[in-house]
Amino acid sequence: MSDALGRLRELLDRHVVGHAEAKEALLLGLLCREHIYLEGPPGTAKTRMAEVAARGSSMAFFYYQLHRDTRLAELVGDVVIERRPLDGAPGERIHQRIEPGGILTAEVCVLDDISRAPGEALNVLLRILNERKFGDRPIPLLCAIATGNPMHEEYYNEPLDPANLDRFALHLRVDSLIGTHAAEARTLIDRFAEGLVVEQPDAPPVCDRQTLDRLFAALPTITLPDAVKDALMEVFRVLVGEYGCDETNSILTDRSFLVKAVKLLRGRALIAGRSVVEPPDLDLLRWMTTFRVPEEVHEKVPEILQRVIGKASPM
Amino acid sequence: MTPAPLSQLRSALDAIVVGQQEAKAGLLLALLAREHAYLEGPPGCAKTLLAEGFAALTGGRTAAIRFHRDVGEADLLGDPVLQRRRTATGDRLAFGHDRGPLLLAEIAVLDDLSRAPGEALTPLLRVLDQRRLGEHPLPLEMAIATGCPPGADACIDPLEPTQLDRFAIQVRMHGALCSADARWARALLEWRSPEAIVPVLSAQVRGELQHTAAQLTIGDGVRAALLQLAQRVAAAVPTGMRGAITDRAFSRMALAVLRAHAMLRGAKRVERVDLAALRYMLGCRVPETVRERLESWIDEAMVEDQIAVSAVSVSVLDHGAPVGEDVGGTRVRPAAASGALPQVEGAVATGSSDRPAEVEPLLRALTGRIEHGRVEPGDDPGGQPRRYRRLRRLDEILDADALEAMLFVEGRLVGTPRTFQRRRRKMGGTLAVLRDVSASMEGRLSRCAGEIVGGLFHAGARQHMRIGYVEFNHRAEVFRASGRFFHRHYARLRPLAGARRAEGRTSYEAPLRAALDEFRGGPRGNRHVVLLTDGVPVLGDPTVARERALARDLGVRIHTVFVGDGECPAVLDTISRETDGGRFRASAGTGGRLRVRGRP
Repeated sequence: MSDALGRLRELLDRHVVGHAEAKEALLLGLLCREHIYLEGPPGTAKTRMAEVAARGSSMAFFYYQLHRDTRLAELVGDVVIERRPLDGAPGERIHQRIEPGGILTAEVCVLDDISRAPGEALNVLLRILNERKFGDRPIPLLCAIATGNPMHEEYYNEPLDPANLDRFALHLRVDSLIGTHAAEARTLIDRFAEGLVVEQPDAPPVCDRQTLDRLFAALPTITLPDAVKDALMEVFRVLVGEYGCDETNSILTDRSFLVKAVKLLRGRALIAGRSVVEPPDLDLLRWMTTFRVPEEVHEKVPEILQRVIGKASPM
Repeated sequence: MTPAPLSQLRSALDAIVVGQQEAKAGLLLALLAREHAYLEGPPGCAKTLLAEGFAALTGGRTAAIRFHRDVGEADLLGDPVLQRRRTATGDRLAFGHDRGPLLLAEIAVLDDLSRAPGEALTPLLRVLDQRRLGEHPLPLEMAIATGCPPGADACIDPLEPTQLDRFAIQVRMHGALCSADARWARALLEWRSPEAIVPVLSAQVRGELQHTAAQLTIGDGVRAALLQLAQRVAAAVPTGMRGAITDRAFSRMALAVLRAHAMLRGAKRVERVDLAALRYMLGCRVPETVRERLESWIDEAMVEDQIAVSAVSVSVLDHGAPVGEDVGGTRVRPAAASGALPQVEGAVATGSSDRPAEVEPLLRALTGRIEHGRVEPGDDPGGQPRRYRRLRRLDEILDADALEAMLFVEGRLVGTPRTFQRRRRKMGGTLAVLRDVSASMEGRLSRCAGEIVGGLFHAGARQHMRIGYVEFNHRAEVFRASGRFFHRHYARLRPLAGARRAEGRTSYEAPLRAALDEFRGGPRGNRHVVLLTDGVPVLGDPTVARERALARDLGVRIHTVFVGDGECPAVLDTISRETDGGRFRASAGTGGRLRVRGRP
């Protein structure tokens, strides 16, 4: 594993129990500069993971809990009204502008309960996330981690539009440890019982922005062999041909599955310290199909991937 | 033995409030654990008195906030502040927040929390959980919130489980009269309102107690028993409520509460008996059915033996009642079983192109009402700017006309500046489809009903509505997905439109009651029932007087569709008129095909 990312992973493991998949996705998001959507019940360390990763790589971190009355200004900085004398002429100019803050200055941000935000704030927010620009200025953001509650628990909020979800390359479901991972839940209890948990982990940086920039620049050098390309195509052939995914029921965009997926595959190889993508890396596609294909098809995705990976891997 | 300051606190509390032992114990635990407490109970059972009395006795700096419909973030976290700074280039106006009482308090009382608008609470609860605002740590030790049980006041949306999770201690309180506790009620007759409350503890004593509690060791056996109990509870809770059994609650919070309990016993370490404290955490986290069994589980957990987790039957709880059993005239069956229903040739397609044209007018009218109805676009800060209006809240100045805002701040504007009125069409809402499957509903009538049902599902899905489905004859058969009546599992609903049978006689009361009961406690606004029938009610109350009144109370519109050539029962018109629903009829038109139109 790449040194810096390996240290970051160790740091995450030290401060957060369990959630191996989410941690791996988080590293991928940071490295490949893709956004992540985490869906899961409250109290499952979603925010903590993001915060540890941000502090551990000495990057500017921004946390915001969205709510029904969220105004755009709260996300992008302070609204300032300025009054200036006119040059040479009598009179004044009244000018309203935004002093950048929030997601405009952050490198890692957590947007908690994203589906609660009202349409206007959400649309602008997602646009900024997608373009990584505000007005004409590029923003330093590497990775935004949005969280939401599972669909059936969305009691008061409207579910997030699938088209909006497409802005987040990776979609993961995070489960509570008590319900699903007994051994890890026990570890968590042990840590609290022994007073090992720090509420505000002040993680010493083990990585920095320059390192991540360098790794990002190295992504295109990772080889994507024809066998993996063929396997990728095979996955889409199965989804479209055998499971009837099309424009009406799925969001199989070229941007997500032909551009972002390739970048993420390279990132995965890089994290593993390889210079070549291997068929098993395709496994990450299941983090991309969660909300992009019908639920019943997504349930089959691990099976499809296993089959395709098995065929593509050399004996 | 309980440490002296704590027994003093307890007896001082007993002098203020009679009875309510469980709530008092819960508050002591919360104080020692440095966790928050939520007291839920009917009006007039001394919730507020207990919360405020306890806060005063602790000797901490307190803040008491009474919640009502219009409490906003500013009332909790601080007043909005407009700052004006002169710079070389001109004046700058910036908007900020003052530090409000909640941010300065050590012991906060959040009275009638459930009255606050559900979502306005989110920032507050975040502050409670993190105990910091931005980078500023708060002095807050504990918050005591009080609230009414869901359903006690129809105007209030119940607190969400995710919001309640911030409160480690959750106790349900009851009054002496309704508990039929004569001795307690008798003692209350002697009660006199307390005079000035003298603090029993001080900041130093509280700090020492909390510190000592946090140091208590917790052995291996207790940890294992805690985990097993947590798993047992989690497995018993219906999927829809799992959100309430969080890792946070059963790791950080539970361990702190166990330590507090050991401390109250005066013990040096946490032992299995301290698991009894978990009952103070689960008051509102688990449904009634689980709470009833909780005591025996806790008793078992306190015994050294291993617990058989697999003994819990999830399926029974998941559906509220044993599958297929009669519950007050309502048969409950999971929607998943729908595959077993008889399928008749030519299952109904929900795609609009396959739908016979005759049903279209009905669907257009109905979906029109469902999508727009009288649910006008509402004011919403995230909506589109529509027109100017006068500023009502100071923070709206961000959205106000810049020139007028400037003049306003300088005191040179008469009145307040103009700001945008933003409006937005509300999506979501709730739809219950009630379909008559009595013996007369067969052949083309049934097919027609199937087409209408399929179209309604389709329209509801497009609007992200939560949909419930009931088939009825003389009794109602309620379909559920993942234990919920209203849900968004549209894929599970679709096959139901095609399923048909025809048996039994007709009752309007059974389906309406079953569906309306499901609306209770849910989010208000945009609530619809569509009643599809071809017959007159021969069973149950033919006038459904009680259900009509209930629908009005709950703000549910009942749209009625009479299918067939016979005479439409007058009661259908009454139902729809009274609840402001649409009235439709499907009857034979030219060529024997059914036409749907509005009833005059």
